[in-house]
Amino acid sequence: MKKKLWMIFGPLVVAAIVLLGLLFSPFKINRINKTTERQAATSLSPNVLKGEAIKKAALSHKEYVPFFGSSEFSRFDVTHPSVLATKYDRNYQPFLMGAPGTQSLTHYFQMQSINKELTNRKAIVVISPQWFVKKGTDPKAFSFYFSTLQAANFLLTQKGTYTEQVAAKRLLSMPSGHANDQVASALQRVADGKKITKFDRFYLKNLYHMARQEDRLFSSIRLSNNDEKVEKQAKDLPAKDDSKAIEKEAIRQGKEDTTNNDFGIKNDFYKRRLSKKINKFKNFEKDFNYTESPEFADFQMVLNQFAEDHTNVMFIIPPVNEKWAKYTGLSQSMLDGFSMKIKYQLQSQGFNNIVDLSQDGAKPYFMQDTIHLGWTGWLDVDKHIQPFIKDKQPKPNYKMDNKFYSHKWQFLNPDDLSSYK
Amino acid sequence: MVSLTPYENPSYFLMLFVALLPIVIGLLAGRKFHWYETLVSFFFLLMTFGGPKWHQGLALIGYLVFEMILVTLYDRYRKQKNDTWVFVLAVLLAIAPLVVVKMTPLLAHGGNAIIGFLGISYLTFKAVQTVMELRDGTLKDYNPWFFLQFMAFFPSISSGPIDRYRRFRNDYEKVPDRDKYLGMLQKGVHYIFLGFVYKFMLSYFFGTFLLPRFEKTAMATPGLSWALVGVTYIYSMYLFFDFAGYSLFAVGTSYFMGIETPMNFKKPFLAHNIKEFWNRWHITLSFWFRDFIYMRLVFFFMKKKVFKSPKTTANVTYILNMGLMGFWHGLTWYYILYGFIHGFALVANDWWIAVKKKHPGRIPHNKFTEAFAIFMTFNFVCFTFLIFSGFLDKLLFAR
Repeated sequence: MKKKLWMIFGPLVVAAIVLLGLLFSPFKINRINKTTERQAATSLSPNVLKGEAIKKAALSHKEYVPFFGSSEFSRFDVTHPSVLATKYDRNYQPFLMGAPGTQSLTHYFQMQSINKELTNRKAIVVISPQWFVKKGTDPKAFSFYFSTLQAANFLLTQKGTYTEQVAAKRLLSMPSGHANDQVASALQRVADGKKITKFDRFYLKNLYHMARQEDRLFSSIRLSNNDEKVEKQAKDLPAKDDSKAIEKEAIRQGKEDTTNNDFGIKNDFYKRRLSKKINKFKNFEKDFNYTESPEFADFQMVLNQFAEDHTNVMFIIPPVNEKWAKYTGLSQSMLDGFSMKIKYQLQSQGFNNIVDLSQDGAKPYFMQDTIHLGWTGWLDVDKHIQPFIKDKQPKPNYKMDNKFYSHKWQFLNPDDLSSYK
Repeated sequence: MVSLTPYENPSYFLMLFVALLPIVIGLLAGRKFHWYETLVSFFFLLMTFGGPKWHQGLALIGYLVFEMILVTLYDRYRKQKNDTWVFVLAVLLAIAPLVVVKMTPLLAHGGNAIIGFLGISYLTFKAVQTVMELRDGTLKDYNPWFFLQFMAFFPSISSGPIDRYRRFRNDYEKVPDRDKYLGMLQKGVHYIFLGFVYKFMLSYFFGTFLLPRFEKTAMATPGLSWALVGVTYIYSMYLFFDFAGYSLFAVGTSYFMGIETPMNFKKPFLAHNIKEFWNRWHITLSFWFRDFIYMRLVFFFMKKKVFKSPKTTANVTYILNMGLMGFWHGLTWYYILYGFIHGFALVANDWWIAVKKKHPGRIPHNKFTEAFAIFMTFNFVCFTFLIFSGFLDKLLFAR
């Protein structure tokens, strides 16, 4: 009988021991090497945001500068920050954190694993006005970038701040917050302003351990590779890092790539995404509104985290392609209102490095498509980021205010800003 | 309080393993501890229907008590007399809770009945079947306490397979000899691991990874599109691997407990025709309908001489039988249509077999025609699954 039982359960026992060994062993099994870090910096893969091993490894080197944003990062134009930094001997390399669908809430939780690395560092944030819709971040998109590791990390590093309470509440409003019952009940305690229980801590530590090991083992396997795209673009750049010469090349490419439409939109994007339904878009966006949204509170969580980490941040507010906006009826005064409101939130709390490009949507080849920065647009951004990163900056002095979490602020009409206290 | 959906995550399987260990050791030593089995059943029911789902737990308890009292009263009555109207009343009462649960969303604009719980439709099959066997006289030594054990057998409570009272009792009371039980353990491990592949790999790949993408594209294109074709086949694969995976877990777990719960799927997509398909797909359900609806309706129609020819009798009964199955799935146009289409398909299938018999040798039969038959059956089934999925409802009416 013993032999038979071993034949049935033996493989199971062995498999279980190997799995537990892999998941709970205290050793780092595979080290993240330079090539992986390099690849991860431009891969935009969700497992980079979900995990921590790769981010931590890359950001431990000072030359990587964290770039927070969303879909614009995937447009690797000739002037894309990663391309410029690759081509020219700049003393920094962007570590891109963002992909289509990543918004403030995703960033708040994914920052939890790199707080140490963000401390006293510089960072760039590209704010998309399109995040700030009435319903806020899409739960499905959020869950795509959310991981157990982020949740465990968040819960295990509680300091008892109001921001954490807001964040826990916000997470519980998402299906992702309920994926695991124990995590959900710990989140509920945090949301109620209580400490997590001893058992929660024990459970979460094990969960964290397991998820971290999983991340170490598998995250680097499934990285998408954009190195080729970056290298290919870098080849087109002039040999010398000279903005006039780069601009010339940017304009040349912009001209060449925007021939099948009158909006200055890149040909293949227009052909693939817009041309078939072009009539539908006429005046389609006339009621779009980016000035009243729960995203303002989510964004405040990110700001608070930066303040806590003493990160010196430069914010970029990109414009919308003006010709496209006119065609779809998207209101420029609404966009102006958005810029005003977001700048108020930033400046009144001491975030003063703001590059507001919201008025530049009509500049030639500034936008690559409808809402994403393009050839001359990225170059313009570069002119601000380069000195910001290169030169020594005065220490920021942040004065955080929890009023920006209020419902009133989230849905405040920018016209009422002057009377807002 | 924790609450777990059966077979959904590693912790459930871990708990299952620990809880089953004493049962396995006992059975290897040739003993069964029924009190411990009951305890385990109760614990897992508590995990499934406790905590935030406590209202479902209450509904389950209420339902079990109601059905037990009903069946016990009918058993007592049946020992004295055998009037048809009492039998009909007993069956109607037994399905009454299910009818209420299925009707509520229709009447209350999508709201759910408070007496509903996960698995009510499967339990109803077991209860009705017990009443019918009491009526037939094939079940003589009914025991209320055992009836409860049978109904609340936790591995299959939420989605089947649907076992039979007498079959279950034989396994329940018997202790399999060691060699047989070792064989069952081996099968149990195999089924559960095959279930992992089905449910957590294939079903995930089709249902969670592919399906939403294709659905999104299909929704963006009005009417027929290649994406819709994709949805058809992807959904079919998802449905099979999800349900078959679940069934494998339930069967595997039962084997560990020394109970040979019947299999629910037998390579359904290799069926040569639609009749064979129903002998391979959701087997315990289709056999239940065969034994307790189809056979009885045919018998009834024959006895009352409602139709002249036996063929007509069979055809009408096919349609009624499958139509009823459609209604059982839920009161939406797509479930009901799905049922009736299968009913008509069974009629067409019988007709074709009759044609073939009438003209022996005229219709070729070889490897290619067999492959063609399998191909056609598969595609037909996938098409009906598209209806079943309810996606057409979203595509056509929810814009």
